[in-house]
Amino acid sequence: MSGKHGHSHKPFEGHMHDFEAHIKAVEEDLEYYRAKRFEPRIIYLLRRGMVTFYDLLKIRAALKKKDHFFKVKKLRGKNIEARVRFLEEWLDEYVKGIALVSARTVEGLDMVTEDNRKERGDYDDFFKIKKKEHHGTLEERMVNVEQDLRDYQELLEVFVHALIKRGWASRTELEQRWKQLHEERPWAGGVIVAKAWTDPEFKQALLSTGREALREMGVHQGKVGKLVVVENTDKMHNVIVCTLCSCYPYDILGDTPWWYKHESYRTKIVQNPRACLREMFHLEVPASKEVQVYDSTSDVRYFVLPQRPAGCEGMSVDELAKLVTIDSLIGAGYALEPERQKVAEKSGALPEAPRIRPD
Amino acid sequence: MQPSGKYKIGDAVMVATENPAGNPRTPKYIRGKRGVIGIVHGVLENIRDHRGVHGPLYTVRFDLSELSTCSDPDSIWVDVHEEWLSTVKSDS
Repeated sequence: MSGKHGHSHKPFEGHMHDFEAHIKAVEEDLEYYRAKRFEPRIIYLLRRGMVTFYDLLKIRAALKKKDHFFKVKKLRGKNIEARVRFLEEWLDEYVKGIALVSARTVEGLDMVTEDNRKERGDYDDFFKIKKKEHHGTLEERMVNVEQDLRDYQELLEVFVHALIKRGWASRTELEQRWKQLHEERPWAGGVIVAKAWTDPEFKQALLSTGREALREMGVHQGKVGKLVVVENTDKMHNVIVCTLCSCYPYDILGDTPWWYKHESYRTKIVQNPRACLREMFHLEVPASKEVQVYDSTSDVRYFVLPQRPAGCEGMSVDELAKLVTIDSLIGAGYALEPERQKVAEKSGALPEAPRIRPD
Repeated sequence: MQPSGKYKIGDAVMVATENPAGNPRTPKYIRGKRGVIGIVHGVLENIRDHRGVHGPLYTVRFDLSELSTCSDPDSIWVDVHEEWLSTVKSDS
Protein backbone atom coordinates (compact mmCIF):
# COMPACT_ATOMS: atom_id res chain seq x y z
CA MET A 1 0.00 0.00 0.00
CA SER A 2 1.23 3.45 -0.85
CA GLY A 3 0.79 6.67 1.08
CA LYS A 4 1.42 7.52 4.68
CA HIS A 5 -2.20 7.67 5.75
CA GLY A 6 -2.95 4.02 5.75
CA HIS A 7 -5.91 4.03 3.38
CA SER A 8 -4.46 5.46 0.24
CA HIS A 9 -6.20 4.12 -2.78
CA LYS A 10 -5.19 4.62 -6.37
CA PRO A 11 -6.47 1.70 -8.38
CA PHE A 12 -5.87 3.07 -11.84
CA GLU A 13 -2.24 3.88 -11.49
CA GLY A 14 -1.57 0.90 -9.33
CA HIS A 15 -0.55 -2.36 -10.92
CA MET A 16 -1.70 -5.84 -10.22
CA HIS A 17 1.76 -6.14 -8.71
CA ASP A 18 0.77 -3.93 -5.81
CA PHE A 19 -0.23 -7.09 -3.97
CA GLU A 20 -0.47 -5.34 -0.62
CA ALA A 21 -3.22 -3.07 -1.94
CA HIS A 22 -5.10 -6.02 -3.40
CA ILE A 23 -4.94 -8.02 -0.19
CA LYS A 24 -5.91 -4.97 1.86
CA ALA A 25 -9.01 -4.59 -0.35
CA VAL A 26 -9.89 -8.28 0.08
CA GLU A 27 -9.47 -8.09 3.87
CA GLU A 28 -11.58 -4.96 4.20
CA ASP A 29 -14.32 -6.18 1.89
CA LEU A 30 -14.45 -9.63 3.44
CA GLU A 31 -14.98 -8.24 6.94
CA TYR A 32 -17.50 -5.70 5.67
CA TYR A 33 -19.64 -8.33 3.96
CA ARG A 34 -19.42 -10.71 6.90
CA ALA A 35 -20.08 -8.23 9.69
CA LYS A 36 -22.52 -5.89 7.94
CA ARG A 37 -24.26 -7.97 5.31
CA PHE A 38 -24.22 -11.62 6.27
CA GLU A 39 -24.05 -12.25 10.01
CA PRO A 40 -26.63 -9.57 10.87
CA ARG A 41 -29.00 -11.43 8.56
CA ILE A 42 -28.53 -14.69 10.46
CA ILE A 43 -28.98 -12.89 13.78
CA TYR A 44 -32.11 -11.16 12.45
CA LEU A 45 -33.67 -14.55 11.71
CA LEU A 46 -32.39 -16.15 14.94
CA ARG A 47 -34.01 -13.39 16.99
CA ARG A 48 -37.32 -14.06 15.33
CA GLY A 49 -37.11 -17.84 15.49
CA MET A 50 -37.20 -18.11 11.71
CA VAL A 51 -33.96 -20.07 11.71
CA THR A 52 -32.40 -21.44 14.90
CA PHE A 53 -28.91 -22.33 16.10
CA TYR A 54 -30.11 -25.93 16.26
CA ASP A 55 -31.12 -25.91 12.59
CA LEU A 56 -27.59 -24.81 11.77
CA LEU A 57 -25.94 -27.43 13.99
CA LYS A 58 -28.00 -30.30 12.64
CA ILE A 59 -27.50 -29.27 9.05
CA ARG A 60 -23.76 -28.90 9.51
CA ALA A 61 -23.55 -32.41 10.97
CA ALA A 62 -25.58 -33.98 8.17
CA LEU A 63 -24.21 -32.04 5.21
CA LYS A 64 -22.50 -34.14 2.53
CA LYS A 65 -19.98 -32.66 0.16
CA LYS A 66 -22.03 -33.69 -2.88
CA ASP A 67 -24.98 -31.61 -1.64
CA HIS A 68 -22.92 -28.44 -1.32
CA PHE A 69 -24.45 -25.43 -3.02
CA PHE A 70 -21.19 -23.54 -3.45
CA LYS A 71 -18.22 -25.07 -5.22
CA VAL A 72 -14.86 -23.64 -4.27
CA LYS A 73 -12.63 -23.10 -7.28
CA LYS A 74 -9.20 -24.65 -7.47
CA LEU A 75 -6.09 -22.54 -7.22
CA ARG A 76 -4.36 -22.34 -10.58
CA GLY A 77 -0.66 -21.67 -10.27
CA LYS A 78 1.42 -21.08 -7.20
CA ASN A 79 2.89 -17.67 -7.83
CA ILE A 80 1.72 -14.76 -5.75
CA GLU A 81 -0.37 -13.18 -8.51
CA ALA A 82 -2.34 -16.39 -9.04
CA ARG A 83 -2.96 -16.66 -5.30
CA VAL A 84 -4.16 -13.05 -5.04
CA ARG A 85 -6.55 -13.55 -7.98
CA PHE A 86 -7.75 -16.76 -6.39
CA LEU A 87 -8.65 -14.97 -3.15
CA GLU A 88 -10.36 -12.16 -5.08
CA GLU A 89 -12.46 -14.61 -7.08
CA TRP A 90 -13.34 -16.52 -3.96
CA LEU A 91 -14.45 -13.30 -2.26
CA ASP A 92 -16.62 -12.54 -5.33
CA GLU A 93 -18.30 -15.90 -4.96
CA TYR A 94 -18.83 -15.37 -1.24
CA VAL A 95 -20.47 -12.00 -1.88
CA LYS A 96 -22.71 -13.47 -4.56
CA GLY A 97 -23.63 -16.16 -2.04
CA ILE A 98 -24.76 -13.49 0.41
CA ALA A 99 -26.76 -11.82 -2.37
CA LEU A 100 -28.36 -15.20 -3.00
CA VAL A 101 -29.86 -15.25 0.48
CA SER A 102 -30.80 -11.56 0.51
CA ALA A 103 -34.29 -10.22 1.02
CA ARG A 104 -34.67 -9.79 -2.72
CA THR A 105 -34.37 -13.51 -3.41
CA VAL A 106 -36.05 -14.81 -0.31
CA GLU A 107 -39.14 -12.63 -0.22
CA GLY A 108 -40.88 -14.64 2.49
CA LEU A 109 -38.36 -13.30 4.98
CA ASP A 110 -39.99 -9.87 4.86
CA MET A 111 -36.89 -8.07 6.03
CA VAL A 112 -36.99 -4.30 6.08
CA THR A 113 -33.72 -2.42 5.75
CA GLU A 114 -34.63 -0.02 8.55
CA ASP A 115 -34.86 -2.83 11.14
CA ASN A 116 -31.72 -4.41 9.83
CA ARG A 117 -29.77 -1.14 10.09
CA LYS A 118 -30.83 -0.68 13.67
CA GLU A 119 -29.96 -4.23 14.66
CA ARG A 120 -26.56 -4.26 12.96
CA GLY A 121 -25.52 -1.09 14.79
CA ASP A 122 -25.65 1.60 12.10
CA TYR A 123 -26.89 4.08 14.70
CA ASP A 124 -25.35 2.62 17.82
CA ASP A 125 -21.85 1.16 18.08
CA PHE A 126 -23.06 -1.04 20.91
CA PHE A 127 -24.74 -3.37 18.41
CA LYS A 128 -21.95 -3.55 15.87
CA ILE A 129 -20.38 -6.88 15.04
CA LYS A 130 -16.66 -6.51 15.53
CA LYS A 131 -14.48 -6.68 12.45
CA LYS A 132 -11.21 -8.54 12.52
CA GLU A 133 -7.96 -6.66 12.32
CA HIS A 134 -5.22 -7.90 10.06
CA HIS A 135 -1.55 -8.03 10.91
CA GLY A 136 1.62 -9.77 9.83
CA THR A 137 3.53 -10.27 6.64
CA LEU A 138 1.81 -10.44 3.29
CA GLU A 139 2.23 -14.21 3.33
CA GLU A 140 0.62 -14.53 6.76
CA ARG A 141 -2.23 -12.26 5.77
CA MET A 142 -2.93 -14.31 2.64
CA VAL A 143 -3.01 -17.52 4.64
CA ASN A 144 -5.38 -15.89 7.14
CA VAL A 145 -7.72 -14.59 4.47
CA GLU A 146 -7.88 -18.00 2.88
CA GLN A 147 -8.80 -19.62 6.20
CA ASP A 148 -11.41 -16.92 6.88
CA LEU A 149 -12.96 -17.45 3.46
CA ARG A 150 -13.15 -21.17 4.13
CA ASP A 151 -14.87 -20.60 7.50
CA TYR A 152 -17.23 -17.88 6.32
CA GLN A 153 -18.22 -19.84 3.24
CA GLU A 154 -19.02 -22.87 5.39
CA LEU A 155 -21.45 -20.90 7.53
CA LEU A 156 -23.04 -19.50 4.39
CA GLU A 157 -23.39 -23.01 2.97
CA VAL A 158 -25.08 -24.24 6.12
CA PHE A 159 -27.32 -21.16 6.25
CA VAL A 160 -28.55 -21.73 2.68
CA HIS A 161 -29.54 -25.27 3.58
CA ALA A 162 -31.30 -24.01 6.71
CA LEU A 163 -33.40 -21.64 4.58
CA ILE A 164 -34.35 -24.51 2.32
CA LYS A 165 -35.09 -26.83 5.22
CA ARG A 166 -37.30 -24.28 6.96
CA GLY A 167 -39.18 -23.65 3.73
CA TRP A 168 -38.07 -20.03 3.18
CA ALA A 169 -36.69 -20.85 -0.24
CA SER A 170 -36.55 -23.78 -2.62
CA ARG A 171 -33.35 -25.20 -4.04
CA THR A 172 -34.68 -24.68 -7.59
CA GLU A 173 -35.38 -20.99 -6.96
CA LEU A 174 -31.96 -20.52 -5.45
CA GLU A 175 -30.24 -22.31 -8.32
CA GLN A 176 -32.00 -20.07 -10.80
CA ARG A 177 -31.00 -16.92 -8.93
CA TRP A 178 -27.44 -18.23 -8.62
CA LYS A 179 -27.25 -18.45 -12.41
CA GLN A 180 -28.60 -14.89 -12.77
CA LEU A 181 -25.99 -13.63 -10.33
CA HIS A 182 -23.30 -14.93 -12.68
CA GLU A 183 -24.63 -13.30 -15.84
CA GLU A 184 -22.25 -10.72 -17.19
CA ARG A 185 -23.38 -7.35 -18.42
CA PRO A 186 -21.57 -4.11 -19.20
CA TRP A 187 -21.17 -1.78 -16.24
CA ALA A 188 -24.11 0.63 -16.25
CA GLY A 189 -22.01 3.49 -14.85
CA GLY A 190 -19.88 3.74 -17.99
CA VAL A 191 -22.87 3.38 -20.30
CA ILE A 192 -24.91 6.09 -18.54
CA VAL A 193 -22.11 8.64 -18.30
CA ALA A 194 -20.93 8.14 -21.90
CA LYS A 195 -24.48 8.72 -23.10
CA ALA A 196 -24.80 11.84 -20.97
CA TRP A 197 -21.55 13.20 -22.49
CA THR A 198 -22.79 12.69 -26.04
CA ASP A 199 -26.55 13.29 -25.81
CA PRO A 200 -27.50 16.65 -24.23
CA GLU A 201 -31.18 15.81 -24.13
CA PHE A 202 -30.51 12.63 -22.19
CA LYS A 203 -28.16 14.48 -19.86
CA GLN A 204 -30.85 17.03 -19.08
CA ALA A 205 -33.36 14.26 -18.39
CA LEU A 206 -30.87 12.41 -16.19
CA LEU A 207 -30.16 15.50 -14.12
CA SER A 208 -33.80 16.45 -13.71
CA THR A 209 -35.58 13.08 -13.45
CA GLY A 210 -32.94 10.57 -12.28
CA ARG A 211 -34.20 7.02 -12.63
CA GLU A 212 -36.91 7.97 -15.12
CA ALA A 213 -34.26 8.86 -17.68
CA LEU A 214 -32.70 5.40 -17.39
CA ARG A 215 -35.86 3.60 -18.42
CA GLU A 216 -35.62 4.63 -22.05
CA MET A 217 -32.02 3.58 -22.48
CA GLY A 218 -32.73 0.07 -21.24
CA VAL A 219 -30.45 0.28 -18.23
CA HIS A 220 -31.71 -1.49 -15.14
CA GLN A 221 -33.47 1.29 -13.26
CA GLY A 222 -33.20 -0.08 -9.77
CA LYS A 223 -35.62 0.58 -6.96
CA VAL A 224 -33.70 1.80 -3.99
CA GLY A 225 -34.68 5.38 -3.13
CA LYS A 226 -34.82 8.46 -5.33
CA LEU A 227 -31.86 8.93 -7.66
CA VAL A 228 -30.20 12.34 -7.87
CA VAL A 229 -27.30 12.86 -10.28
CA VAL A 230 -24.98 15.78 -9.49
CA GLU A 231 -22.93 17.27 -12.31
CA ASN A 232 -19.29 18.29 -12.08
CA THR A 233 -18.42 21.53 -13.87
CA ASP A 234 -15.50 23.94 -14.10
CA LYS A 235 -16.84 25.60 -10.94
CA MET A 236 -18.10 22.62 -8.98
CA HIS A 237 -16.63 19.34 -7.81
CA ASN A 238 -19.18 17.00 -6.26
CA VAL A 239 -18.45 14.12 -3.90
CA ILE A 240 -20.80 11.59 -2.37
CA VAL A 241 -20.71 9.74 0.93
CA CYS A 242 -23.04 8.04 3.37
CA THR A 243 -21.86 8.98 6.85
CA LEU A 244 -24.34 6.64 8.54
CA CYS A 245 -23.68 3.44 6.63
CA SER A 246 -22.84 3.06 2.94
CA CYS A 247 -25.89 4.13 0.92
CA TYR A 248 -25.18 4.34 -2.80
CA PRO A 249 -27.20 3.57 -5.96
CA TYR A 250 -25.74 0.07 -5.89
CA ASP A 251 -28.85 -1.35 -7.52
CA ILE A 252 -27.82 0.48 -10.71
CA LEU A 253 -24.05 0.78 -10.38
CA GLY A 254 -23.00 -2.27 -8.38
CA ASP A 255 -21.05 -2.02 -5.16
CA THR A 256 -18.54 0.66 -4.21
CA PRO A 257 -14.84 0.17 -3.49
CA TRP A 258 -14.13 -0.84 0.11
CA TRP A 259 -12.95 2.60 1.24
CA TYR A 260 -16.41 4.09 0.60
CA LYS A 261 -17.72 1.97 3.47
CA HIS A 262 -14.70 2.61 5.67
CA GLU A 263 -15.00 4.88 8.66
CA SER A 264 -11.92 6.89 7.73
CA TYR A 265 -13.51 8.10 4.47
CA ARG A 266 -16.97 8.58 5.99
CA THR A 267 -15.58 10.75 8.77
CA LYS A 268 -12.93 12.79 6.96
CA ILE A 269 -14.84 13.69 3.83
CA VAL A 270 -17.36 15.82 5.75
CA GLN A 271 -14.77 17.33 8.08
CA ASN A 272 -12.21 18.43 5.55
CA PRO A 273 -13.16 17.37 2.03
CA ARG A 274 -10.14 18.77 0.21
CA ALA A 275 -7.64 17.24 2.61
CA CYS A 276 -9.47 13.91 2.44
CA LEU A 277 -9.40 13.87 -1.37
CA ARG A 278 -5.74 14.83 -1.39
CA GLU A 279 -4.60 12.33 1.22
CA MET A 280 -6.70 9.34 0.27
CA PHE A 281 -6.88 9.73 -3.51
CA HIS A 282 -4.10 12.19 -4.42
CA LEU A 283 -6.80 14.37 -5.92
CA GLU A 284 -6.10 18.10 -5.70
CA VAL A 285 -9.27 20.08 -6.43
CA PRO A 286 -8.34 23.54 -7.79
CA ALA A 287 -9.29 26.53 -5.65
CA SER A 288 -11.45 27.77 -8.53
CA LYS A 289 -13.93 24.99 -7.80
CA GLU A 290 -16.33 24.66 -4.89
CA VAL A 291 -16.41 21.20 -3.35
CA GLN A 292 -19.93 19.99 -2.57
CA VAL A 293 -20.24 16.82 -0.51
CA TYR A 294 -23.58 14.99 -0.63
CA ASP A 295 -24.36 12.83 2.39
CA SER A 296 -27.00 10.18 1.54
CA THR A 297 -28.66 10.00 4.91
CA SER A 298 -32.15 9.13 3.82
CA ASP A 299 -34.12 8.02 0.77
CA VAL A 300 -32.00 9.73 -1.87
CA ARG A 301 -29.11 7.99 -3.63
CA TYR A 302 -26.55 10.11 -5.42
CA PHE A 303 -23.92 9.68 -8.05
CA VAL A 304 -21.61 12.18 -9.67
CA LEU A 305 -21.64 12.93 -13.39
CA PRO A 306 -17.92 13.49 -14.04
CA GLN A 307 -16.62 15.98 -16.61
CA ARG A 308 -15.71 14.64 -20.01
CA PRO A 309 -11.91 14.45 -20.12
CA ALA A 310 -9.82 16.30 -22.67
CA GLY A 311 -8.56 14.47 -25.74
CA CYS A 312 -11.56 12.25 -26.41
CA GLU A 313 -13.13 14.10 -29.33
CA GLY A 314 -14.62 11.79 -31.91
CA MET A 315 -14.58 8.73 -29.67
CA SER A 316 -17.57 6.37 -29.82
CA VAL A 317 -19.93 5.90 -26.90
CA ASP A 318 -18.42 2.46 -26.22
CA GLU A 319 -14.91 3.89 -26.12
CA LEU A 320 -16.01 6.76 -23.88
CA ALA A 321 -17.64 4.32 -21.46
CA LYS A 322 -14.18 2.82 -20.78
CA LEU A 323 -12.93 6.17 -19.46
CA VAL A 324 -15.51 6.21 -16.68
CA THR A 325 -14.16 4.87 -13.39
CA ILE A 326 -16.04 3.85 -10.28
CA ASP A 327 -14.13 6.49 -8.33
CA SER A 328 -15.19 9.25 -10.73
CA LEU A 329 -18.87 8.53 -10.01
CA ILE A 330 -18.19 9.09 -6.31
CA GLY A 331 -16.10 12.19 -6.90
CA ALA A 332 -12.89 10.59 -5.63
CA GLY A 333 -11.33 10.86 -9.06
CA TYR A 334 -11.84 12.18 -12.57
CA ALA A 335 -12.79 10.22 -15.65
CA LEU A 336 -9.61 8.95 -17.31
CA GLU A 337 -7.97 10.73 -20.19
CA PRO A 338 -7.67 8.33 -23.15
CA GLU A 339 -3.89 8.08 -22.82
CA ARG A 340 -4.11 7.11 -19.17
CA GLN A 341 -6.82 4.60 -19.92
CA LYS A 342 -4.58 2.90 -22.48
CA VAL A 343 -1.68 2.66 -20.05
CA ALA A 344 -3.93 1.27 -17.32
CA GLU A 345 -5.44 -1.27 -19.69
CA LYS A 346 -2.00 -2.48 -20.75
CA SER A 347 -0.79 -2.94 -17.20
CA GLY A 348 -3.91 -4.86 -16.23
CA ALA A 349 -4.82 -2.21 -13.66
CA LEU A 350 -8.30 -1.53 -15.02
CA PRO A 351 -11.09 -2.56 -12.73
CA GLU A 352 -13.45 -5.37 -13.49
CA ALA A 353 -17.18 -4.80 -13.14
CA PRO A 354 -17.97 -3.92 -9.54
CA ARG A 355 -19.44 -6.53 -7.27
CA ILE A 356 -23.12 -6.88 -6.67
CA ARG A 357 -24.07 -5.62 -3.22
CA PRO A 358 -26.34 -7.94 -1.27
CA ASP A 359 -29.26 -6.07 0.21
CA MET B 1 -44.38 11.70 -4.30
CA GLN B 2 -46.19 14.74 -2.97
CA PRO B 3 -44.86 18.22 -3.58
CA SER B 4 -46.12 19.38 -0.19
CA GLY B 5 -43.84 20.62 2.55
CA LYS B 6 -43.31 23.65 4.70
CA TYR B 7 -40.06 24.89 3.21
CA LYS B 8 -38.89 26.05 -0.18
CA ILE B 9 -35.48 26.31 -1.80
CA GLY B 10 -33.40 29.04 -0.15
CA ASP B 11 -35.17 28.97 3.23
CA ALA B 12 -32.83 29.22 6.21
CA VAL B 13 -33.34 26.34 8.63
CA MET B 14 -31.91 24.89 11.80
CA VAL B 15 -31.67 21.18 12.64
CA ALA B 16 -33.05 20.06 16.00
CA THR B 17 -30.53 18.77 18.55
CA GLU B 18 -32.74 15.88 19.49
CA ASN B 19 -35.94 14.39 18.15
CA PRO B 20 -36.70 10.92 19.49
CA ALA B 21 -39.80 10.52 17.32
CA GLY B 22 -38.14 11.65 14.11
CA ASN B 23 -36.39 9.64 11.42
CA PRO B 24 -33.26 8.17 13.01
CA ARG B 25 -31.11 8.93 9.98
CA THR B 26 -30.22 12.49 10.90
CA PRO B 27 -26.49 12.39 11.57
CA LYS B 28 -25.11 13.89 14.77
CA TYR B 29 -22.71 16.30 13.07
CA ILE B 30 -25.57 18.46 11.70
CA ARG B 31 -27.70 18.58 14.82
CA GLY B 32 -28.19 22.11 16.11
CA LYS B 33 -26.58 23.51 12.93
CA ARG B 34 -27.88 26.06 10.45
CA GLY B 35 -28.29 25.51 6.74
CA VAL B 36 -30.33 26.45 3.72
CA ILE B 37 -32.88 24.32 1.85
CA GLY B 38 -31.13 23.15 -1.34
CA ILE B 39 -33.50 20.55 -2.81
CA VAL B 40 -37.16 19.84 -2.02
CA HIS B 41 -38.05 16.16 -2.43
CA GLY B 42 -41.52 15.95 -0.87
CA VAL B 43 -42.73 12.73 0.73
CA LEU B 44 -40.85 9.72 -0.61
CA GLU B 45 -42.17 6.23 -0.21
CA ASN B 46 -39.50 3.62 0.12
CA ILE B 47 -41.21 0.46 1.27
CA ARG B 48 -38.14 -1.72 0.96
CA ASP B 49 -36.36 0.53 3.39
CA HIS B 50 -38.91 1.32 6.04
CA ARG B 51 -42.35 0.28 7.07
CA GLY B 52 -43.76 3.75 7.73
CA VAL B 53 -43.74 6.86 5.58
CA HIS B 54 -41.77 9.81 6.94
CA GLY B 55 -42.50 13.51 6.51
CA PRO B 56 -41.31 15.57 3.54
CA LEU B 57 -37.61 15.31 2.79
CA TYR B 58 -35.17 18.11 1.96
CA THR B 59 -31.54 18.25 1.01
CA VAL B 60 -30.09 20.97 3.22
CA ARG B 61 -26.94 22.84 2.24
CA PHE B 62 -24.54 23.64 5.09
CA ASP B 63 -21.44 25.78 4.87
CA LEU B 64 -18.52 23.53 5.71
CA SER B 65 -17.41 26.06 8.35
CA GLU B 66 -20.76 25.66 10.16
CA LEU B 67 -20.06 21.94 10.69
CA SER B 68 -16.31 21.72 10.99
CA THR B 69 -13.22 23.67 12.01
CA CYS B 70 -12.19 23.67 8.35
CA SER B 71 -12.75 27.09 6.78
CA ASP B 72 -12.60 26.13 3.08
CA PRO B 73 -15.48 27.78 1.18
CA ASP B 74 -17.08 24.39 0.47
CA SER B 75 -20.42 22.89 1.38
CA ILE B 76 -22.00 19.73 2.75
CA TRP B 77 -25.45 18.68 1.54
CA VAL B 78 -27.45 16.40 3.82
CA ASP B 79 -30.91 14.83 3.50
CA VAL B 80 -33.11 15.84 6.42
CA HIS B 81 -36.79 15.23 7.12
CA GLU B 82 -39.10 18.15 7.90
CA GLU B 83 -39.75 17.12 11.51
CA TRP B 84 -36.08 17.84 12.29
CA LEU B 85 -36.14 21.38 10.90
CA SER B 86 -37.22 24.78 12.16
CA THR B 87 -37.18 28.19 10.53
CA VAL B 88 -34.28 30.57 11.17
CA LYS B 89 -34.93 34.28 10.81
CA SER B 90 -32.49 35.74 8.35
CA ASP B 91 -31.15 38.39 10.77
CA SER B 92 -30.62 36.08 13.72
